[in-house]
Amino acid sequence: MTQGQQTESTPLVDPACYAAATAAIRAEAVRLLEAGEVTAVVGYRAGRRAGSAMPEVATTAEAAAQLIFTPGCQNNLALFLSKAKREALPKGKVAVVVKGCDLRALAGLIGESQLKRDEVHVIGVACPGVYGAGADLAKPLAAESLARKCRECKVHLPEGTDVVAGTLPPLPDLAPLEAEELARLEAMTPQERWAFWTEQFARCIRCLACRQVCPFCFCTQCLCDRNRPQAVDTSPRPAGNTAWHIVRAMHLAGRCAGCAECERVCPMDIPLNLLNRKMAQELFELYGFETTMQPQEQGALTSYRDGDDQSFIK
Amino acid sequence: MSRIGVFVCHCGENISRTVDVEKVAEAARGLLGVAHACDYKYMCSDPGQALLKKAVAEHRLDGVVVAACSPRMHEKTFRKATEQAGLNPFLCEMANIREHCSWVHEDRDEATAKAIDIVHMLVERVKRNRKLQPISVPVTKTSLVIGGGIAGIQAALDIADAGHRVVLVEREPSIGGHMAQLSETFPTLDCSQCIMTPKMVDVANHPNITLHTYSEVEEVDGYIGNFQVKIRKKARSVDMARCTGCGVCMAKCPQKKIPNSFDRDLGMRPAIYVPFPQAVPNVPVIDRVNCTWFKSGKCGVCQKVCGPGAVDYAQQDEFVVEQVGAIVVATGFNLYDISEKPKGSPIKGYGEFGHGKIPDVIDGMTFERLASASGPTGGKILRPSDGREPKQVVFVQCVGSRAREKGISYCSKICCMYTAKHTMLYKHKVHDGQAYVFFMDARTPGKGYDEFWRRSIEQEEAVYIRGMVSRLYQKGDKIVVMGSDIAVGIQVEIEADLVVLATAVQPRQGAELLAQKLGISYDQYNFYSEAHAKLRPVECATAGIYLAGACQGPKDIPDTVSQASAAAAKVMTLFAKDQLEREPIVAKVNERFCVGCFACKKVCAYGAIEEKEIRDRQGNLVKVVAYVNPGVCGGCGTCQATCPSKSVELDGYTDEQILAMIETL
Ligand SMILES: Cc1cc2nc3c(=O)[nH]c(=O)nc-3n(C[C@H](O)[C@H](O)[C@H](O)COP(=O)(O)OP(=O)(O)OC[C@H]3O[C@@H](n4cnc5c(N)ncnc54)[C@H](O)[C@@H]3O)c2cc1C
Ligand code: SF4
Ligand code: SF4
Ligand code: SF4
Ligand code: SF4
Ligand code: SF4
Repeated sequence: MTQGQQTESTPLVDPACYAAATAAIRAEAVRLLEAGEVTAVVGYRAGRRAGSAMPEVATTAEAAAQLIFTPGCQNNLALFLSKAKREALPKGKVAVVVKGCDLRALAGLIGESQLKRDEVHVIGVACPGVYGAGADLAKPLAAESLARKCRECKVHLPEGTDVVAGTLPPLPDLAPLEAEELARLEAMTPQERWAFWTEQFARCIRCLACRQVCPFCFCTQCLCDRNRPQAVDTSPRPAGNTAWHIVRAMHLAGRCAGCAECERVCPMDIPLNLLNRKMAQELFELYGFETTMQPQEQGALTSYRDGDDQSFIK
Repeated sequence: MSRIGVFVCHCGENISRTVDVEKVAEAARGLLGVAHACDYKYMCSDPGQALLKKAVAEHRLDGVVVAACSPRMHEKTFRKATEQAGLNPFLCEMANIREHCSWVHEDRDEATAKAIDIVHMLVERVKRNRKLQPISVPVTKTSLVIGGGIAGIQAALDIADAGHRVVLVEREPSIGGHMAQLSETFPTLDCSQCIMTPKMVDVANHPNITLHTYSEVEEVDGYIGNFQVKIRKKARSVDMARCTGCGVCMAKCPQKKIPNSFDRDLGMRPAIYVPFPQAVPNVPVIDRVNCTWFKSGKCGVCQKVCGPGAVDYAQQDEFVVEQVGAIVVATGFNLYDISEKPKGSPIKGYGEFGHGKIPDVIDGMTFERLASASGPTGGKILRPSDGREPKQVVFVQCVGSRAREKGISYCSKICCMYTAKHTMLYKHKVHDGQAYVFFMDARTPGKGYDEFWRRSIEQEEAVYIRGMVSRLYQKGDKIVVMGSDIAVGIQVEIEADLVVLATAVQPRQGAELLAQKLGISYDQYNFYSEAHAKLRPVECATAGIYLAGACQGPKDIPDTVSQASAAAAKVMTLFAKDQLEREPIVAKVNERFCVGCFACKKVCAYGAIEEKEIRDRQGNLVKVVAYVNPGVCGGCGTCQATCPSKSVELDGYTDEQILAMIETL
């Protein structure tokens, strides 16, 4: 932790690298739209508050010239290529700006037949990190305001995209808070862990923001909304909440890209990404499966290999 | 409101002994939607079924629950009765209160309570059953037979004689399998070649049989009635159409000293060869590993001497695709090679027997070749090491078989009989010789079998020693056999000239790979599994695939031939109709909610799920959804368990039904 603590409130990287990425995104976006190679570029533009950013579907060169990349670019824009958000896009080939974690989501969507690789022009961005939930966006990005996922990110530099915007500055070594939290939970007895999670889930107000923001929750009708038969109680009471969260965890196991958007948008501060991480770790240990920046033929839970660990069947 | 009838069966006393059947019927009467309930001693009997039919009419029932045995046993029976009563048969379900209840519980009150719960669950399920219509699929009336041993030959001839086309695929250059290698056969001692070769010739001449030798099944797609099979025809280097079988090439080939595996390496053959003179087809192949042309590009003698110009060094593997409706698997067995410990297998070797090191320790099949009139010694029993006639021969039974500590616990079934045969053949050929047999038990069930075995002792003077052999070693030109005689309780040592080991019958190497291609199951040893040990012994669990011969378990020729004819009969039954009716318990996709993630397609082991485009009236693509081909779907329900949005469901097992069942508890 020593090194981490020293760097907590000093700026994480030189802001010039975001400016360089911004310039590269604009140049590529303008070129694509002017050449008619795409009908829209999904990227970020400045938000209403200082330091914030919001998704933008740019269809003109003018709009493209306003695109940015800053630590405030938290949204996972792969969302626009799945489910109802896709209807917000014009027809034809589109371009999308993705960070490494977003790219994992995009690759997952391709693997699940939600889009074809040649339907998108992928603008990857070299990403040092974005703000975490509750950060003061007016201040420069520092270790303390960095999103937890970014502290242990392995995909700062996207691979397999059509272009990469920006270059990666040297990054400080930071303590992996999420891994530490996971280890703390692992050390608990099953009873303690169950108590921990039921307490967390009890807070859920079933606003379903986590579902709406997740690129993988693209079902036209979520199992949890069905009433014939009703699998999950829809009102925000503890039993139904727990059921919802278990369904969510299971349905995203082996698919979740780790973008942590669900956790960021949760108004009740439920540590959803911790659960996602746990599932990912479990699948890696059992089947050596990891979500990657490349589309995969088979998912962890939709394939069977001789010699798969079956010790969980008791 | 539903009007369901509940019919509780006593199954003689099988159910009523532990379950109070009257109480179950009474409880059923009180359930919502049940219009009638009764109990009867044997529901499956004629009067029992009559009771059901009468009740359907009298009480205007719209659903039937038969509380009795497993649906595997009698679902068909009761669905038929329901249909005869005028209801859709799929409105009838079975509540299994025998296997799931009376047979596994002792406490009467608890068992009765559980039976009531089971009935209640099924009532809820039947309430939500839909009327289903059987699915018809066309049947291609051609059968594939894999393996041309006696099993495959018999099955192929039977099916072909019934007027259907057969495609017979054999891996080796000739059909015949192990039986072609045998000398004389128990229990009658008729010459194996004499009864086998006419059948082989029949296969070659049959107008309905297409024979692919030196070929293997590469890929299998499709389902019962409609398989597509891709066959690899390995390059023979000889044009089948041109070759007249004159044999000049074999006579002139300068490479003459290649051990012939058909003769268990005791005889030699040239590089261009037929494995044995009676081979079918009588067309040689070039063994490209040993041929000088293929090794160094020189020689070419066979091509020069071949009159019709049939030798073709440039020949390539070819692929043929056949459409077939049924598949008979008849790939036979291998003898356990005890000289080495099989890699990656739980089976431990028999290093202490010196097999593979001591030349005069041989296995049963090698003895068959020595005893065969067309074998490498012309039917004389001579030792492989020095060509002398052995005067003392020790036979050891159960080598590998019934040896749990060695990894195989089953009995190979044929060794007792063929060892008895070997002692006789030996005595017939070496009058002053003495045969000893180490054995654990003599297992001789079969017509004329025990008599045969006794004859080897009583008339041919074989000495049977009950006990095991612990070690074999060479001493001078003798082999010392150390064993025990447990009948007398002493250790025995015999100095033998020749030792013959009755090694275990094992499945073919790589049997599991073929099984995976075919999608059939196999047991822990890799023998193919039948669908039911007693009631469906020749069918695989995978519809349209049948088993014949030793690939399913150790078998002698009479059993092999019977099973082959039985498999052929099953194929003919299938081919008796132009359309195949199958159970409509298949998955259906709710296209409105399906999001086309194709998780279902990835998990479907039957390959039943396709991608279907949904277009609007102008022809614009709206979305791509999953489509289940009902002809292919096996009704396993894996897709239903996988689909995140529950957009695919199995008829009869919908989530609604299953939740309704759970809610009764
Ligand atoms: C030493 C010995 C003595 C015996 N003596 C007697 C006796 O006296 N009387 C008696 O009744 N029984 C006897 N038997 C038993 C008899 O040999 C078998 O019952 C019989 O051979 C079984 O026939 P099968 O067709 O099932 O198998 P096999 O004879 O093994 O034939 C299988 C055929 O399938 C082919 N094949 C295998 N895999 C493939 C593949 N993937 N693709 C295509 N083709 C394939 C093989 O090349 C072979 O031609 C004896 C057995 C042994 C070992
Ligand atoms: S975002 Fe948070 S509060 Fe809303 S449903 Fe998800 S977990 Fe519950
Ligand atoms: S939780 Fe499951 S069913 Fe619901 S939207 Fe997400 S993936 Fe679909
Ligand atoms: S579950 Fe959360 S972290 Fe995972 S992909 Fe969905 S939004 Fe991102
Ligand atoms: S798993 Fe479900 S949603 Fe996905 S393609 Fe299959 S039926 Fe459709
Ligand atoms: S029920 Fe089984 S066989 Fe049928 S489509 Fe679903 S997964 Fe395939």
